Amino acid sequence: MSDLALAPIAATASAKSHWRVMRAVAAKEWLELARDRRLVALCALIVALMLGALAFGYAENARILRERDAATKADRELWVGQSAKNPHAAAHFGQYAFKPLSPLALADPGVDAYVGSAVWLEAHKQNETQFKQARDGGVGARLGSLSLAFILQTIAPLIVILMGFASFSGERESGALKQLLSVGARPRDILAGKALALIGAIFALLAPAFIGAALALFFFVDRERLSLADQFIRLCALGAGYAIYLAGFAFLALGVSALAKNSRAALVTLLAFWLANSFLAPRLATDAARAFAPTPTWLEFRAGVIQDKSKTFGHDESHPGFIAFRDETLKKYGVTRIEDLPVNFRGLALRKDDEAGYAIFDRHFGLLQSAFDRQDALRAAPGFLFPLLALRPISMAFAGVDSRSQFDFATAAEAHRRDIQNQVSDNIIHFAHDNHYVAGPELWRKIGSFAYQAPGAIFAFAHSALPIAALLGWLVIAVVFAAFAARRLRPV
Amino acid sequence: MSRAMSSAFFAGFRFEARMMRRDGAIWFALLTLAGVALFALAMGSARVSAQQAAIAAARADEMQRIANLQKTLGQLQEGDAQGKPAPEPPPFRDPRNPTFMGGGPAAAVAALAPAPLALVAIGQSDLLPPAVRVTTNSKDSFLFADEIDNPANLMSGATDLAFVIVFVYPLVILAFVFNLLAGEREQGTLAMTLASARRPGAALAGKLAARVSAPIIAMLLAVTVGVWIFAGWERLASPGFAALLVLVLLYGLFWAALAAAIDGLGRSSAFNALTLIGAWVAITMILPAAINSLAAFAHPAPSRIDMVLAARAASTDADKARDASLARYADEHGGGKPAGGSQEMTLRRLATQEAAFQRVEAIVAEHDAQLARQRGLSDRLGYLSPAYLTFQAMADIAGSGETRYRAFLDRIRAFHVDWREFFLSRAKAGAALTAEDYAALPKFTQADEELSAWAPVGLAGPLIGVALPALILAVFAWRGFRRCGI
Repeated sequence: MSDLALAPIAATASAKSHWRVMRAVAAKEWLELARDRRLVALCALIVALMLGALAFGYAENARILRERDAATKADRELWVGQSAKNPHAAAHFGQYAFKPLSPLALADPGVDAYVGSAVWLEAHKQNETQFKQARDGGVGARLGSLSLAFILQTIAPLIVILMGFASFSGERESGALKQLLSVGARPRDILAGKALALIGAIFALLAPAFIGAALALFFFVDRERLSLADQFIRLCALGAGYAIYLAGFAFLALGVSALAKNSRAALVTLLAFWLANSFLAPRLATDAARAFAPTPTWLEFRAGVIQDKSKTFGHDESHPGFIAFRDETLKKYGVTRIEDLPVNFRGLALRKDDEAGYAIFDRHFGLLQSAFDRQDALRAAPGFLFPLLALRPISMAFAGVDSRSQFDFATAAEAHRRDIQNQVSDNIIHFAHDNHYVAGPELWRKIGSFAYQAPGAIFAFAHSALPIAALLGWLVIAVVFAAFAARRLRPV
Repeated sequence: MSRAMSSAFFAGFRFEARMMRRDGAIWFALLTLAGVALFALAMGSARVSAQQAAIAAARADEMQRIANLQKTLGQLQEGDAQGKPAPEPPPFRDPRNPTFMGGGPAAAVAALAPAPLALVAIGQSDLLPPAVRVTTNSKDSFLFADEIDNPANLMSGATDLAFVIVFVYPLVILAFVFNLLAGEREQGTLAMTLASARRPGAALAGKLAARVSAPIIAMLLAVTVGVWIFAGWERLASPGFAALLVLVLLYGLFWAALAAAIDGLGRSSAFNALTLIGAWVAITMILPAAINSLAAFAHPAPSRIDMVLAARAASTDADKARDASLARYADEHGGGKPAGGSQEMTLRRLATQEAAFQRVEAIVAEHDAQLARQRGLSDRLGYLSPAYLTFQAMADIAGSGETRYRAFLDRIRAFHVDWREFFLSRAKAGAALTAEDYAALPKFTQADEELSAWAPVGLAGPLIGVALPALILAVFAWRGFRRCGI
């Protein structure tokens, strides 16, 4: 016999008594959930799907990692294997920067398939990343692939709804709620007990995924390149994010169940919300983001860059900018002919032109990323009402697969491009005595290959303030709603 | 159908239709469904306009570039004719230089205009740019250029009719049908319904037909009106539109048959609801995701990076081969240098371009074969999920699927060969481009059938793939309804 059945609870009962009620309600809910074979089978299926998704993610990531490592080595060989040539010609040949894979992409692939994986680092030009994997996937691939994030973001809330939709309404229909209230149990204690049980079930659902992801990380992370501790901090943040997301659904299910006329109405209402959250809100928010924060087309973007670049001289020796720079240089060195300069003027001109280009690229690519950021903020803003809009950017940020992480990579790649240009120009400045100057493999070897150090978890925290606030807002609203519904709880 | 049977069927149909007419929730659901479909078509129409604007801008840019080159060429020729030659431009800006002009400044725009029914499905059109700038360089340098878009937008997907049909439409059908028998049984009216008809099975079939036809007709009407408003009435007479209506009808019947089959098991409304939600999640979400993951695992998409590296390796090899050939020339001619300067630069460029072109062609063919294997597997597995088949079929009807894009790529391949031939033959001959050459530049034109009479092909398989399970489930439903107990 449960503690609850021993005696009615006094109106002025101690906190310990309330805790006993909560515990008893939670234990009863747990028992019912565990006895529901369909629900247990469904949970087992979801856990199996999550582990399967992790296994797929692990295999896919390992393959991509191997490919990119091999590509990095191959590109290095091509770079150092160049024949003797003018260093600027080598800069035009350039290098490729390959984006290293974030280990947690095995749990959430994020936008990785929709951004390129390689950037060509060539002279005079900052390029966009190329080769989006999604282009090769075909139309059917747009329906998604099996990933841990996909399951936790869309299917797990459905499980929570199925666990919770009849919590109050079912007991009202069976008469159990009337009995429970008649022994003096406060609605808020019953709510707390049921919430405790549901949240416990959520943790039970998340635990295998979390442990699986932790084990995968342990074996996957290249500890020479990445900090395992940082990856575990990211994983913990992901776990917390998903727990808040699902806990909000638990409180919502309890609130709706308490207010609904019957279980059917509760289920229909919750399913409608789930559909809106999982399918409608992301698409509508994206349409709105596109409309309110438009991005330029490729042609417009490149036209803007070209227009600004036309103010620089490039290789055009008749350009007024070139003539002005030449005169300024001659004056600086106190000579009247280029041939009398102690350094190579062509190298100086290349460096000057590159430096002018850096500012132009910084401005245009920065503006583009700002437009992306505005779109992301617009999409995340309604996240306190439709929590997937808040959770998705958090999940991607901590998995290191969001557009901010991509921008960080692109910025680092551009910094490396500039390093190549600067080294090449310096070499020409100091060693080229005529236009037939060529450099050999020593210079190619001296210029290193791109080595990217992904930012730590703090980077993800810093760029996720809005979605984190929205997700916490979602939980607070769901808790307040459930408490409000519990206050209006009807026994019949 | 005997007379008694048809009369019972129509009586059941009329009775249920009357009940539904008086139910505000039914009207709300139908109007919401139609409204969402119309909204999706409006969004699709806006997207099509944006694609058309992008193509127009690319063509305007092409015209401007060619006009500028012709103008510079005219100035150079005029200067030569007047004996006052203009300063020699660098080769990469010289409109007479076929090697450099064909490689960029004169690049031709190859565009794929949206198909007549492009507004119904975004498909891959947000990932594959509608206009490509074809140059004499190897394909890796132009075929994989992307339109600018926030990757998070691409990942979220857009609101299109394909999304509404595949995900939302089934839910409304399920909501209408899931408790036809169970609901009456729980309310205690089933016995009365069965007792009041001479042919109870036919009466129940009539009631079911009324429930099924309401959302299907609402969707067919919304699609027709939406296409008429946003794409023009002439689209309604196209074979693609007929295929779209058939697809919407069959997909709706599949879900109706599934709901009726579950309802026919004689279990409670709650059981039906949970089972059907599970089926919806499995068919629209889990199975497509699993199919994609399995196909990607069995036949991983080839790394496009290989293609770039091969092109780079080819150009360094060609460079080295050129160096070796120059060194041999020097040996054989007592240290004398062969033609240097800009001619050597041109020859070197041609050699590297040719080497890269050959290697990239081979790798692209290899990659295409691997992708075809992956897609073949996912297409075969797609028969496990009518949602997957419907989504793909809608993209094909919209002309935003793989079939039409692959045809576009084939035409680009042929055009690329012509384009290279035009410029490289002149470059190899050391001939300068003339005003006549600019007037005779090869043009990429879109085939008429792609523009106006795009008729989706290969839809028979997906349509049968949706119709067959619908038929099997209908048989189960029929048996369940005939045996239904009170």
